[in-house]
Amino acid sequence: MNAPVLSVRDLKVEFPTRRGTLTAVDGVSFDIMPGEVLGVVGESGAGKSLTGTAIIGLIEPPGRIAGGELRLAGARIDHLSHQAMRRIRGKRIGMVFQDPLTSLNPLYRIGDQLIETITAHVSLSGAAARRRALALLSEVGIPAPETRIHNYPYQFSGGMRQRVVLALALAAEPELIIADEPTTALDVSVQAQIIALLRKLCRQRGAAVMLITHDMGVIAETADRVAVMYAGRIVEIGPLHDVIKSPLHPYTKGLVGSIPTLDFDNDRLVQIPGAMPRLTAIPGGCPFHPRCAAVFARCVVERPELKPEGRSRVACWLYHDAPAEAVQ
Amino acid sequence: MTAAPLVRVENLSRTFDVSKPWLNRMTEGLPRRLLVAAENVTFSIDRRETFALVGESGSGKSTVARMTVGLIAPTGGDVVIDGVSMTDRRQAAEQRRLRRRIQMVFQDPYASLNPRWRALDIVAEPIRAFHLADTRAETAAKVGEALTLVGLDPADGGKYPHEFSGGQRQRIAIARALASRPEFIVCDEPTSALDVSVQAQTLNLMRDLQDQFGLAYLFISHNLAVVRHMASRIGVMYLGRLVEIAAAKALFYAPQHPYTRMLLDAVPDLTPSGRQRRPVEGEVPNPVDPPPGCAFHPRCRYATARCRAELPQLIHTPAGAVACHAVAEGRI
Repeated sequence: MNAPVLSVRDLKVEFPTRRGTLTAVDGVSFDIMPGEVLGVVGESGAGKSLTGTAIIGLIEPPGRIAGGELRLAGARIDHLSHQAMRRIRGKRIGMVFQDPLTSLNPLYRIGDQLIETITAHVSLSGAAARRRALALLSEVGIPAPETRIHNYPYQFSGGMRQRVVLALALAAEPELIIADEPTTALDVSVQAQIIALLRKLCRQRGAAVMLITHDMGVIAETADRVAVMYAGRIVEIGPLHDVIKSPLHPYTKGLVGSIPTLDFDNDRLVQIPGAMPRLTAIPGGCPFHPRCAAVFARCVVERPELKPEGRSRVACWLYHDAPAEAVQ
Repeated sequence: MTAAPLVRVENLSRTFDVSKPWLNRMTEGLPRRLLVAAENVTFSIDRRETFALVGESGSGKSTVARMTVGLIAPTGGDVVIDGVSMTDRRQAAEQRRLRRRIQMVFQDPYASLNPRWRALDIVAEPIRAFHLADTRAETAAKVGEALTLVGLDPADGGKYPHEFSGGQRQRIAIARALASRPEFIVCDEPTSALDVSVQAQTLNLMRDLQDQFGLAYLFISHNLAVVRHMASRIGVMYLGRLVEIAAAKALFYAPQHPYTRMLLDAVPDLTPSGRQRRPVEGEVPNPVDPPPGCAFHPRCRYATARCRAELPQLIHTPAGAVACHAVAEGRI
């Protein structure tokens, strides 16, 4: 129970370009325990999807993992060959992507896609694989699986397609599921269904989930712990309640405050000035300092590391070794 | 300020023909297939007011937005802006004069700006089209003014859209809309392509501009929390029909229509209070083949035989209007 399913240590992803090397993920570390849902939030360009892509070993060249360690149930997976990684992907790590229409092959019946996935990873006869596929489809809430198994992806609605993708991800009983914006393309009513399903299935199977999304609302409903990413780094990581109710890092505070809510205070939204820096121009020191209201001299020159603060860990000079007057 | 609303949308309907080609229909014996994207949509927008339309994909909210600005022609009904009918051919001259006063901001700032035009040409387009400036210098001054209004540096006007971030592009789109000094702006999902922190900047900007210029907005969104923040009155659409109209406060505190209740229940809550979203059964039906009676009845807990057979009409309630038999009969 106490060994993490996934352990990421000091992960670095780089893209060599003509104008120098861009560091898109810079020193990211976290663990995910069995049965735990870790939410990874951040805005476009924060490096959250790339972290997920690095874990499943699908970074497009010339991008590469430039440093750090990835361990799945204790064993390193960052140096595996393509062949070895193929056996892990889909079998031990399931994946759910944003757009269900692009993750399903439009030319194959969904049953064939499911059976192919099952037989690729588990040694089962055709008939047994078919039974497994039917069981999976009914488990993810697709009505009349016996007829639907013969349908093509276009015959499903967006929500139903995402259920099929979820069934595909679960096909080989993975230990870890990486869900990258699984509900972003869906309507709110369907979004709620998919989230409830994802939670239920992971609780039942004890699979660990890395849920990547830009939607704090989805995180608040699904995750146990939250990691907030900014400019390729984790700036805050901690239990869900702490991060959302009493965020520590000024960026998390701004992010939580800028989300319109249903509670009636029709006032101005909290506004973080400026925008996420481009990879070509990540500011020195703390990368958030040009947008930060609480910036002081040290932020500009020295990069803060993630350090414990309460039950969370935060990378901000306000919390460690800061001069007392700056904390105000 | 006149008492009459600035925009009146009356029984607006739009049907799209999605039939197969004539020859296939003849040889395969298929009937015509019509998609009713909007039917009998009626609402009005006052000056300085934000009216929002919410609904899921396929509810017809964007179709109504496009008909309101005249980008697609309605198959029935009328849009009356400041007393001028936008569909009556006899009022063509007045319609032309009115065009300057209506603008639109689109969802995707990556698709709505011409990538080969500089930002200042994009913003200058309405000024040139409506002959609002006599000299180049005057055009340039107006463009600079519009860019400053949305928080961009006029010196950046020489850049192309790809040199701006998503939020900055949406600011350019807003500057373009403002350049002709409109009174009414239709915003079709203006922030759904943006990150939350940039969305907050854009929404705040739009509210400031509304106060400054007395703009009326028709605000289209699927995000109830965003609508909650922007709108004074809200219309909820389902499969091409308005099912409820109410003042924003009333809609969120006391939603009437079961669909509105369902939508509100489904909104993710930031407070991890353990409140579970009640996942809704089912999805939006195919608009080509909508259910008979009330289109929402297959997903509705309160559906009765009457709901399955008879289309409910909008009835007025203290807070607004609602189209639901269950509400009319006092069952909920």
